[in-house]
Amino acid sequence: MAWYHEIASGLAALVGRRRQDAEMDEEMRFHLDMEARRHMNEGMSEREARRAARREFGGVERHKDDTRDERGASTFFDALGDVRFALRSLRHRPGLTAAATITLAIGIGATSTVFGVVKHALLTPLPYSQPGQLVGVWSAWKGFERTWLSYDEWEGWKARVHAFADIGLYTDASATIDGATPERVRSGLVQANVFPILGVRLDRGRTFTAEEDRPNGPRVTVLSYELWQRRFNGDPSIVGKRIQVSGADMSVVGVTPAGFQMPLDYTAGEHTDIYFPLATDAANEGALPGPEFPKGGSNHGYYGIARLAPGSTAAAANRQLHDIVAELEKFGYMANVGFHAYVIPMDEQVMGRVRPVLLVVFGAVVLVLLISCANVAGLLLVRGEARRRELAVRVALGAGTKRLARLLVTESALLAVFGGAMGLGLASITVRLLRSNAPAGLPRLTETSIDWVVLLFALVVSIVTALLTGILPLANATQLALSGELREGGRGSTAGRARLRWRQALVAIEVALAVVLVAGAGLMIRTVRNLLNVDPGFRSEGVLTMRISTPSVFYPDSVRVAAFWDDLQRRVAALPGVKHVGGVRLLPLASEMGDWGLRVEGYTPPPNQGTPGDWQVVTPGYFETLGLTLRQGRTFTTSDDMRAPLAMIVNRTFEQQYFAGRRALGGRVRIGGSDSTKWYTIVGVVDDVRHNALIGTVKPQFYATLAQFAVAPGNTRRTMSLVVKTDGGGDPKKLISSVRAQVRAIDPRLPVSEVRTMRDIVDAAIGGQRFAAETLGVFGFVALLLSAIGIFGIVSQVVASRLHELGIRAALGATPMDLMTMALGSGLRQAMIGLAIGVVAALMLTRVLHSLLHGVTPTDPLTFIAVVVVTGLVAVVASVAPAGRAARVDPNAVLRVE
Amino acid sequence: MPTESRLGPRAEVVRGTLEMLALKLLGEEPMHGWGLSLRLREISRDVFDVNQGSLYPALQAMLRRGWIRAEWRMSENNRKARYYRITTEGRKQLDAEIEEWNRTSAAVNRVLRYAFSGA
Repeated sequence: MAWYHEIASGLAALVGRRRQDAEMDEEMRFHLDMEARRHMNEGMSEREARRAARREFGGVERHKDDTRDERGASTFFDALGDVRFALRSLRHRPGLTAAATITLAIGIGATSTVFGVVKHALLTPLPYSQPGQLVGVWSAWKGFERTWLSYDEWEGWKARVHAFADIGLYTDASATIDGATPERVRSGLVQANVFPILGVRLDRGRTFTAEEDRPNGPRVTVLSYELWQRRFNGDPSIVGKRIQVSGADMSVVGVTPAGFQMPLDYTAGEHTDIYFPLATDAANEGALPGPEFPKGGSNHGYYGIARLAPGSTAAAANRQLHDIVAELEKFGYMANVGFHAYVIPMDEQVMGRVRPVLLVVFGAVVLVLLISCANVAGLLLVRGEARRRELAVRVALGAGTKRLARLLVTESALLAVFGGAMGLGLASITVRLLRSNAPAGLPRLTETSIDWVVLLFALVVSIVTALLTGILPLANATQLALSGELREGGRGSTAGRARLRWRQALVAIEVALAVVLVAGAGLMIRTVRNLLNVDPGFRSEGVLTMRISTPSVFYPDSVRVAAFWDDLQRRVAALPGVKHVGGVRLLPLASEMGDWGLRVEGYTPPPNQGTPGDWQVVTPGYFETLGLTLRQGRTFTTSDDMRAPLAMIVNRTFEQQYFAGRRALGGRVRIGGSDSTKWYTIVGVVDDVRHNALIGTVKPQFYATLAQFAVAPGNTRRTMSLVVKTDGGGDPKKLISSVRAQVRAIDPRLPVSEVRTMRDIVDAAIGGQRFAAETLGVFGFVALLLSAIGIFGIVSQVVASRLHELGIRAALGATPMDLMTMALGSGLRQAMIGLAIGVVAALMLTRVLHSLLHGVTPTDPLTFIAVVVVTGLVAVVASVAPAGRAARVDPNAVLRVE
Repeated sequence: MPTESRLGPRAEVVRGTLEMLALKLLGEEPMHGWGLSLRLREISRDVFDVNQGSLYPALQAMLRRGWIRAEWRMSENNRKARYYRITTEGRKQLDAEIEEWNRTSAAVNRVLRYAFSGA
């Protein structure tokens, strides 16, 4: 087969080039010798004979070249030659090569990093079976755009929404893995069908059965792979064993696969470590059995998840839900509150909040890449100027445009390869940084890694970069080849002017792109500042928090729980550096708070509406520790204990809604709708705390003490957060070990978890915006820097190319100031054009930030003015140094060069 | 893949003929390059005398295609020389080329005959 010989010959040519050359030399020498001897035999002198042999043979070197070409693989050798040549010429100008490589590395590195993030967060589907068919099911009414399902709704949708193959309820909680070192872990309570809906295949064992998923059912549990490894050393016979969880005996029925996460885990930023059956039913929930709906609604407390029926869509499910809800409305279910129900694709539920942030960041990084391409193209153009003569000589010596193009493209390709390799190195560092400092509240960021898709992406980006950066210098060189540069005097030519114009255009583009980035960064920074300036209703500075549980096995009644908290707070308060200490059921901005139906004396809710109040359980020290503002009355004291009259503190929204025109202090409230619970008396009103989010409406909220909440409605809080305020602004983290030591001193069996500062919690709440602001800020800075380099370069070039003219002007009496102004103008004009284009582009593009902004419009005039000023200043600064050279022109020196 | 030849189209025709003749001669006995060049000149009455060196790229091309094989052997005057020998594939190629040549020359002859008789 011919191709076989071709390939073998090509390979032989690659491997045995030297040997083949030697053989060819020897063979041709043999020919010449023999031919010469033949001539000598015919009577010629030796010299004569040799000359004749050579003449008849023809150009030896040419025949050698032709023979080499016939070996195959010569394209490869040509390319190798090009690469060698390009390397040499790049090495010749190390400064420029380094600048170009680093610029490209920044562009490619940043783009690859962000692509890695985007790919993992947005393009990699959630690790469930057919994740596109999974939806989250939500309820909503006035003021509650996304709230949980009630048991009645679940029963109703399960029976009537045919777009669902199945729907299940679940929720998250926490549990203690007992043992010598108890551990508090995140737990999942799931209906038996939730694992099948997710389509998870357990690592071992089985999921829960319907039989196990009922009130007072058998105590069974499924462990996460990680917990199984960590706490049970991967015991291969774990399934069927009994373990101690929160003081109860549980038998393990299964282990989830490694890395498995519940949908909620992505937003929570933690993995669920242990699962239990939800084990509830209509009777348990106070719900109507079967698909019946009580008019007033019931407790909305569960997350809903559904798998769409084959061929069905989320839109179809929403249509069916809409129709059913319209029917329910006629019947009077939760009337007048605008109740509705809807589904959202699980992917969007998990990533929806992050997607706009990531897309914005990705857009920004592409701009950075474009700027770095423009910059490198500019650098290569400058070099093209310096190499005019070299290239002209090459053209004169017969290098065709094709050959010239190949040389130049090889150069920019090499630069792109270096830049790409360095960029990947950079990306692997930034990805590692990103993983370790992933901003809280951005799900799946920690999964980012450099895998082959990212590598492929970096490769494609490098190729595109090579083309983008190579195309202008190439166009120039071709023009050069045609114009016959050698004839050109070498300075101030029209062709030179044309090339300068290209560079000026590049600089204008760079500035315009930079303006867009800086404007975006400015808007995001203002947003973050606005968010930080939102008064959350509490002071986060210097507050340490940790979660502590008092399981019922060790603390069977509320008296003991209250005693523990009294003891703990007394001990912690005595620690040096501690100013205040308190306890609270749910930390603000850390988790969403549900409500409790109330009865407020003297207030009648509109028909079919309840009197909900978000419930917060605290110890007396909480208000001072978090710095809540008391408006009326008093805060709790230690005397508000179990024996004392029940005291309640409400927020301003509570007062305004339920005590409109009345005095709230002294008003009476029952927690729970029934008459059996006792009356609380309002003793104080505090300012609103933004509990669920920094922005959005605040709901009526009430506070009761831990001790009294156990009296009415009779609910003992077993998990509370300890909050500790440092004295005199000390670092709260320094208190961690001493506070932990106090917990251990009282009861070593108690697990402590979620040790965080209040500051961390607030930061996490604005994580998305902060991430966008920080990345846009960095990118904006890089963009400005690159543009500054571009402007610097253009002014330098103008000065260099007009040195002669400037010298003459100086000789004719122009002052240094005149000369400097002239030079400055050349850079600033481009900057101004870029600025103008950039502002227009930014005005159009910043609209995409809309959903991320807070307290600032996408076309905020103040931001835009600041952007113009900053960019203008950068342009001036970048122009001044090279323009200074123009001012110092020595007419003698310049004119003497001629 | 082989690069574009610097010889130009007319030289290509010569080269094609050269290859065919070389194959024919090598089919009779293995020969070194000089010997081949000498025989070519004798047989063709010096038509191929123009440029002896152009034989070597042609030989290399035939090596690459697997039509001939090369080996170093002692020559008649005790000097090492590179001998070429035809391969089975080379023989097939030769047969094909001869057939093609016969067809072409017959056609050309017919055209010429017709042209002269028709004049």
